[in-house]
Amino acid sequence: MNLLAQQLVNGLFIGSVYGLFAVGYTLVFGVLDILNLAHAAVFTLGGLSAVWLVQAAGMSIWLAFPLATLLAGGLGLLINAAAFAPLRRRADSQFSGLISSIAMAIIFDAAALGLFGARSVRFPPGTVKVHVWQIAGVTITSLQVGIVLVATLLMVVLTLFLQRSRTGKAIRTVAENERAAMLLGVNVSGIIAFTFFISSALGGAAGVLYGLYFDSLAPDMGRSIELKGLAVIVLGGMGSIPGAILGGLAFGLSEVLTVAVSGTSNLRDAVAFTVLFAILLLRPSGLLGRGKLREA
Amino acid sequence: MKRFSRFLLWATVCAVFVAVAVSPAISADNIKMGFVFSMTGGAASYGVSQKEGAQLAVDQINAAAGSGMQVVPIFEDDASVPQQGTNVYNKLINGDKVAVIIGPTLSNTAKITNPIAQQIGVTVLGVSNTAGGITEIGDYIFRDSLTEAVVIPNTIRVAKEKLGIKKVVLFYGNDDAFTKSGADVFRKALQAEGIQILGEQTFAKGDRDFSPQLTQIKSQSPDAIICSALVEEASGIVNQARQLGIPKNVRIIGGNGFNSPALMKNAGEAAEGVIVGAAWNISSTNPLNVKFVEDFTKKYNHPPDQFAAQAFAGVHIAYQAAKVAGTADGRKAIRDGMLKIKGMDTPLGKFSFTEGRDADHTPVVLEVKGGKFSVFVK
Amino acid sequence: MEQLAQFYAVYGSVINFIGINALLALSLNITLAAGMLSLGNAAFAGIGGYTAGVLTVHLKAPLIVSLCGGTFMAGVVGLLLGMPVLRLKGVFLAMATLAFGEVVRIAAVNLDITGGAEGLTGIPNITRTWMIFLALALAAYFMATLRRSRIGWGLVSIREDETAAACLGVDITYYKVVAFTIGAMMAGFAGAMYAHLNYLITPRDFGFFIAVDLLVYNIVGGTRVWYGPILGAALLTALPEILRGVGVAAGPIRLAVNGVILLLVILFLPNGLASLFTRWRPAAAKAGRAEHT
Repeated sequence: MNLLAQQLVNGLFIGSVYGLFAVGYTLVFGVLDILNLAHAAVFTLGGLSAVWLVQAAGMSIWLAFPLATLLAGGLGLLINAAAFAPLRRRADSQFSGLISSIAMAIIFDAAALGLFGARSVRFPPGTVKVHVWQIAGVTITSLQVGIVLVATLLMVVLTLFLQRSRTGKAIRTVAENERAAMLLGVNVSGIIAFTFFISSALGGAAGVLYGLYFDSLAPDMGRSIELKGLAVIVLGGMGSIPGAILGGLAFGLSEVLTVAVSGTSNLRDAVAFTVLFAILLLRPSGLLGRGKLREA
Repeated sequence: MKRFSRFLLWATVCAVFVAVAVSPAISADNIKMGFVFSMTGGAASYGVSQKEGAQLAVDQINAAAGSGMQVVPIFEDDASVPQQGTNVYNKLINGDKVAVIIGPTLSNTAKITNPIAQQIGVTVLGVSNTAGGITEIGDYIFRDSLTEAVVIPNTIRVAKEKLGIKKVVLFYGNDDAFTKSGADVFRKALQAEGIQILGEQTFAKGDRDFSPQLTQIKSQSPDAIICSALVEEASGIVNQARQLGIPKNVRIIGGNGFNSPALMKNAGEAAEGVIVGAAWNISSTNPLNVKFVEDFTKKYNHPPDQFAAQAFAGVHIAYQAAKVAGTADGRKAIRDGMLKIKGMDTPLGKFSFTEGRDADHTPVVLEVKGGKFSVFVK
Repeated sequence: MEQLAQFYAVYGSVINFIGINALLALSLNITLAAGMLSLGNAAFAGIGGYTAGVLTVHLKAPLIVSLCGGTFMAGVVGLLLGMPVLRLKGVFLAMATLAFGEVVRIAAVNLDITGGAEGLTGIPNITRTWMIFLALALAAYFMATLRRSRIGWGLVSIREDETAAACLGVDITYYKVVAFTIGAMMAGFAGAMYAHLNYLITPRDFGFFIAVDLLVYNIVGGTRVWYGPILGAALLTALPEILRGVGVAAGPIRLAVNGVILLLVILFLPNGLASLFTRWRPAAAKAGRAEHT
């Protein structure tokens, strides 16, 4: 088997899930200059509720996936209403928004633990039929291909939406300059709520895909991806969606290659964070960022 | 108002005093057992299992005891962190005045909290601590969980005998005391049997993606993959190994951590043929075990795992020690009672303590066949 | 008297942890006072703790030497880290310090001298409650006087408006680095004491979640007054025990209570619980109001 090619393929798949997760993060940051640290909790709840829908309600994954995504979006609206909207008038709204998102994350984690128990669960076997292919000495499963396609589709749809549709343009206007948007008649608070909806929906979708890929979901599954998501958006440039996608892929690849070369997965995180650190010092705007450092 | 804040302070202090003072007064005829399990945090899935096993044992003992010595259980959560474990030990020992402590779930926590019990002189019976350096803490520390040092060499010997393996790769978690010491024992056992270790790969607790390491392992073409992991990671490893196309005749051999029905539940088909060295065999025909599995499954709607079995046995062992000592709250007497336990019938088999207060009963080698654990016969 | 001894026997460890956490919270408060969102203090505590532990275990150093060694090491690293990193603002600084913290934790997991994932064992249990609270009292006194000193006002002016402060001749870099380093040293000291409290320290004791905890102690307690972080640390460290006493079972509810408290405080009491006290004290309130302008 072609070792390097297989590792590259591995990295590609995990990278696309990271990218999808990071896109939600960066969307909120781009529009509001706020880091929503409850994003990982939405990721977890999205995945877990999809499992519940398939297992307890007997739904097919094709129905459960969009439903779980919508549910995650709803959680995003909740986060906005409870944690961010009340604080927007404040001078230190970025800082306090960060803290209140931490609070929401704790509450959501508690909910996940309470509703789903501590044990890890998986989608029932046969949820998705998996074919295994061998192409040029590399093993790929149909599930992996499906996940990459779905992730790509979602990201393409999002980009088109932001570019072409009216709401999308309104979102970009608010991101540029909130006051000007308001003067132009844009319903700013509605747009912000909608942004949270999309961002969290994508996060929840990433959670479902992650759970399908790894056959394992637990209330603490957000823990590892939380920090990685931050690293990804810094790498790609905060506020840039193509940056988040690129960053996710780059990150996935670097992770896999580090593990492959060193034989241990501990260094994997060290490499990631050292890269994050270096980027913050040398080029805080990341690969594709907007070049402007935000004030505290 | 300074007065208000001072009032608040005193109110809090008084409230705490009241909480301490109102711990229930229990007659000397009932034995107070403190249970320290991780009900939240990283080890929660094991703690929950242990509590289920322990609760079942307590209920059954009390039903059978009638007006005799009853068990008064006090369950506490150490949240998988030693800080909380310390607080809980202090509360149980000094506040609730328990006669014996069962737990804690994690070896890491035990290393920090057990010295407290040793210093004051309270028996601790570990029911899941398998790392090194636990019973060495002192002569009040016991455990009924068969250490990897006993289980693994037996497993390797049997595997070599029946499968003729010559070269393997060692894959283990290097950030957990349990999996790391398991790997150390595997390494020694493999070397003792003259099996070549082609290479080693590691992972961290909480990892879900093992494809990079498994890809490397696959390229080395070992006869078997030796794996020291807890069940969460084990399921993922087994699954992804087969997904990557590692053939079924390259067996995966694991230690105590694999011994849980969660393995089959989460890894499904991929778990077939996995070999597990364990302290407990769910399909053992020992009548005590059959009854245990039956009662447990009826009460909780799912089968028990090794953690539940060892917790269940632990309660019985501690109770027996108290009966032998003839006291419900004599802490030293109960410790002496523990030393007298020999060949006691438990679902784990005939149980005794070694000189070092470790578990002494026969380990098993299991194989996953048809979605169930059965004794490995090839 | 006997009641007191009994109380201490049961809750002694909680009291010790409150003391350590309060020290750590104070160490973060210095940097927060200057408007810097640093998530690295848990890592500094880890550096202090491990250094002190290694000194005691491998070099058989007496406690005072180990404590100083730990504090010094944390200070040196703080200085080296602070200089490049403090140019960053807001969220970026937070992430850089976070990344630093993770690298420290991973190093601790992988190095042999730190005992790997199982931690550094065999540290004698020398720290006593009086030591912790003596240190805490000194730190609190230091913080209280700092607020009223020139450096203190300098830090506050940096927090309120960095550009204006620079125009007024405040040496921004100097003050920021000083605040950061002092915070690092205090955290290192607390970590060193913690290491000698529990027979061992592990990488998990200083990870991301602890760093977030320190931030939460400060927010809940209040960052504007010196006793705010102490209040926050005391409440949140004791909370699991209080809930346990009231009969709230372990598990999701306790977690949820933590989150709800934090949310309520940030929404309704943005200056933390300490602001409840300052509201009723006319003198302190005047000083507080002066700070806000």
